[in-house]
Amino acid sequence: MTSIPELSDKTKQRGKLSRAIYDARIRSAIIQALTLFTVVALLFWLTRNTMINLQARNLSAGFGFLDVSAGFGIGFTLIPYKEGDTYLRVFAVGIMNTLLVAVVAIALSTVFGVLVGLARLSTNWIIAAVARSYVEIIRNTPLLLQIIAWYFGVFNLLPRPRQSMEITGGFVLNNRGFYLPGPVVEAGFTLWLGILAVSVIGAIALYIWAARRLERTGQSFPAILTGLGIVILVPLLAFLVLGSPLSWDMPELKGLNYVGGITVPPSFCALIVALSAYTSCFIAEIIRSGIQSVSKGQLEAAGALNLPANWTLRRVVMPQAMRVIIPPLISQYLNVTKNSSLAIAIGFPDLVSVWMNTSLNQSGRAIPIVAMTMGFYCAVSLSVSAVMNIYNKRVQLKER
Amino acid sequence: MTSDLQTFVPRPDRPPPADSAGVAAWIRKNLFSDIPNALMTLLGAYIAFTVLSAVLNWALFNAVWSADTRRECLDAVGRAGACWPGVAIWFENLIYGLYPKDQVWRINVGFLALILWMVPLWIPRVTSKIGIGLSAVMLYPFLASYFFLGGDKGVVWTGLIALGLTGFVIVWATALTETLQAKTAGAWLIDALGRANAEEKMQTRIRLLAVLAIFLLACLAVWSVSFTEVRTRFWGGLFLTLVISGIGITFSLPAGIMLALGRRSNMPVIASLSTIFIELFRSVPLITILFMFNTMLPLFMPAGTEVNQLLRAIVAVCLFASAYMAEIIRGGLQAIPNGQYEAAHSLGLTYWQTTSQVVLPQALKIMIPAIVGNFIGLFKDTTLVSIIGLFDLMNMARAIGEDTNWLGLFIEPFFVVSLIYFVFCFAMSSYSIGLEKKLATGRDTG
Amino acid sequence: MKRILLTGAALAALNATPVFAQETLATVEERGILNCQVGLPTPGFYALAEDGTWSGMDVDLCRGVSAAIFGDPDKVEYQSVTSAVRFTALANAESDMLSRTTTWTAVRDTQLGLDFTTVNFYDGQGFLVPADSGITSALELDGGVICVLTGTTTELNLADYFRANEMSFTPVTNENVNVLVETYLGGGCDAYTNDKSGLAARRSAFPSPDEHILLPETVSKEPLGPVVRQGDDAWANLVRWVIFGMINAEELGVSSENVDEMATSTDPNIARLLGSEGNIGEGLGVKPTFMIDVIKMVGNYGELYEKHIGANTPIGIPREGTLNALWTEGGIIYAPPFR
Repeated sequence: MTSIPELSDKTKQRGKLSRAIYDARIRSAIIQALTLFTVVALLFWLTRNTMINLQARNLSAGFGFLDVSAGFGIGFTLIPYKEGDTYLRVFAVGIMNTLLVAVVAIALSTVFGVLVGLARLSTNWIIAAVARSYVEIIRNTPLLLQIIAWYFGVFNLLPRPRQSMEITGGFVLNNRGFYLPGPVVEAGFTLWLGILAVSVIGAIALYIWAARRLERTGQSFPAILTGLGIVILVPLLAFLVLGSPLSWDMPELKGLNYVGGITVPPSFCALIVALSAYTSCFIAEIIRSGIQSVSKGQLEAAGALNLPANWTLRRVVMPQAMRVIIPPLISQYLNVTKNSSLAIAIGFPDLVSVWMNTSLNQSGRAIPIVAMTMGFYCAVSLSVSAVMNIYNKRVQLKER
Repeated sequence: MTSDLQTFVPRPDRPPPADSAGVAAWIRKNLFSDIPNALMTLLGAYIAFTVLSAVLNWALFNAVWSADTRRECLDAVGRAGACWPGVAIWFENLIYGLYPKDQVWRINVGFLALILWMVPLWIPRVTSKIGIGLSAVMLYPFLASYFFLGGDKGVVWTGLIALGLTGFVIVWATALTETLQAKTAGAWLIDALGRANAEEKMQTRIRLLAVLAIFLLACLAVWSVSFTEVRTRFWGGLFLTLVISGIGITFSLPAGIMLALGRRSNMPVIASLSTIFIELFRSVPLITILFMFNTMLPLFMPAGTEVNQLLRAIVAVCLFASAYMAEIIRGGLQAIPNGQYEAAHSLGLTYWQTTSQVVLPQALKIMIPAIVGNFIGLFKDTTLVSIIGLFDLMNMARAIGEDTNWLGLFIEPFFVVSLIYFVFCFAMSSYSIGLEKKLATGRDTG
Repeated sequence: MKRILLTGAALAALNATPVFAQETLATVEERGILNCQVGLPTPGFYALAEDGTWSGMDVDLCRGVSAAIFGDPDKVEYQSVTSAVRFTALANAESDMLSRTTTWTAVRDTQLGLDFTTVNFYDGQGFLVPADSGITSALELDGGVICVLTGTTTELNLADYFRANEMSFTPVTNENVNVLVETYLGGGCDAYTNDKSGLAARRSAFPSPDEHILLPETVSKEPLGPVVRQGDDAWANLVRWVIFGMINAEELGVSSENVDEMATSTDPNIARLLGSEGNIGEGLGVKPTFMIDVIKMVGNYGELYEKHIGANTPIGIPREGTLNALWTEGGIIYAPPFR
């Protein structure tokens, strides 16, 4: 590792002890021990200060408040929640909402990002220009401002409940939210779910078989098309045969607002749109640079081999582009999860808003609440990055 | 004889066919090449038109430009047009926060000094650009701190401020001599004294003496001026945003380099500690870090220590930014081929020599666009300090809507703040793209 | 080198015994500045002008305390802190007192290391609805979407009220009043709820105030007052008695205009208040005539009310007949006697 110093006469004369200091391994051990000691001492000092301060200020750092009734309402919950439920329940509600926002925003921003990324490469000048100005404007304004802009610029301007936009079949849009028919499970539904699962597994098995056969014999089989057919047609048939084991609860105007079905509040819509729009810009740039990173020679080589266009895309361009695309894409996905904490600006009850703000405020227990919030984000990020690191190691080019 | 020689005169190029040149052809080729393309063009134009006309109508054509209260605006146009007078009255606050009005010139001078410091970087004939850049990062903050903060300065602080001033003088001296005489200020001084042939030691001594003289003069100058103290509680607006993100980026660069090297180190303790730090700070949203430092830093410190709110936010931003910077630098380090390390090793360079002379210069050059991108991100992220109650741009905008005269004025300040952010971020990102193109020359871009 | 220094510092600190600032008054006197925590700007109570000055009902309490200690009402530094971190900031000794429309509740008083001094304003929560909605009572809000400020007792009271009356509601929460007001004006919620003092002020700034009505119900008790850290009774006493002094002054007819003449008054109650008889200031750690400074430089309770939130201000909350009238005039503003 480190170089061998020129042995001058002076050094030669030194004793064993000083030679030990110049030994790379011993020096490294000393440095590490010192660092470790410093860090541990620092942590010990911080903890001790905290304990003393907590005691002096009559504050409690315990988790005893978790089973106390929270007493405030939450505007949007995935799991049942009443005002009288405990703080622990509030924590769970916050986690579910954050995860929901993250998942939906990731899906939408990926789709949209790919579209914009392709549009930026379009030969149509105005499309490329619109895509480019979209990316530049959205990327260069703080997300916090954009969330507020979407909330007031679009969703708060929708018609009021009595003048709602009724899109066919129980889909209603107004400034109190987006109302959807809610599924109501009836007899036979479990059986249908089983059939769905079986057909999905069957399609996957078919795909694997087709891939193996392709490798073995070189004969291709339209596995994706057939698989899609299986996944769509079989459950559809089963659904009809079982006599529609699912009915729909339609939202209807009762009193002040629509009742029934699923209600998606405007703050959720604004958050999702803003997050997806913002993230899609970064994804678009990632996709664009990924595709551009595949050198022209590869395309020409594929052309020389007379590969069909979709094969060139699937077997030549994408595998190479993906290697460039995936790592930054994952960090964008993690950013979406973290950025969803900005929901606080428009009051969507995500973890930060409902837990680190409202609950902290009402209970005053700063330390356990902040610790739990950070713990959740750490857990999500670390598990995602762990999975991605494994994937990344598999696709990266091996160097020597 | 020669007069008979016919010179070859090429016939002028024929003009391109009428349908492949000019505006019409460009439009046909780029906008209406086929039917789907034409439809897309119309759609794109329609979207652009609707958005633009709505914004322009609200912000310009229907807007109210003079009124004393928001009520007057509302009575005039209702909510169809913007109400700008409120924003105009508070505009200075959006830029400088609650900084005393008669002291605002100090902020201007402080930022002017930074710009002047950086100007030599764009003069082509100046050669010591790295030195100038480094001095701006290392020495300018001392100079700026006194302009912004003011108040009593002890001996140490006076020294540091004087150091900043010295740096500034030397930078410009160097810039001038290099532009006009094509030699460094030190070399010029020695020439002027007629000691060009003197011994090396003598020359060094002269240079040191000159620096010392400038430093003493600077000390004297600093000692003789005194500004009233402006506590950080009065800092705000764009100024605060720039201070926080500026300190964040300045701190995060060296800290990020150390962390990245630590993570790649083969000492297990150092590597794992660096990894834990980086992953921890990267995995939580900045808002939770700000929150933690805001509410909990006073608990971590011994009782009675006062840590002001701005400092807490800055510490949080610095740690967050260094974790991100560390990952960018690590990416750069990974891009350096192993051959470079091996070559350095085979020359007998030590670890630090390899790192500072061979690896980092190459890695940093690759990483410049990403570093600028990180800075833009940090600049935007500082909007979050409003959530812990610092009067940055966002909170200053919010304060307008709580002014008794302008109660409820909300959209207009946010519109202006968005514009300010956009102008800054767009300028930075355009600069970064330019830089990327400049740096990309000479490398295979295939 | 740095590492050695850090280790040294850590070791040194481990042996240091912590010092608690029990003596807030001594600390404030030594610092020469009173650190007063207010909220994000709110008209009437802690309003911020573009020249950076603060004013309002709660701000004047801090100025009163400053006048009592220093004989100068402006030795105050205001910290504007979001409601989420207000109690931690006070408990962490970042400010000496918190004066920002904070509701006195049992949990806050007993579990957060805080001490409520007294009440300087009685508020109550109400609802604002569009007049054309046809709603005339809060009991008709069943199934409604309600805009509510988060992190305040308002949010809890709202939930309690609907639970008690077996009604359901969907809250739209935010910690920025202007966001809520914009949402409400855009029709994003059926009603906007807040303390009635805030509702009146906000309505006056609506594009057309007449199109919105205040429902008759008051659904909560909101005693608002300044808060100090627990464990320093002397400091709590000082803050408390400055406010009591302001209330007593109004009751006795002592105002900022006549306080100089009153200083020589023979009325024993006034003499005790202004320090020409007895020595109440000594027990509080300030000079005997501290109330002269407070009243002259800041004003008595009634003056503060009329100046910042009374009927003639943009906030416009009339005082007659409300809880905030003096007890002699049918209200419950009542201070223990100065003796």
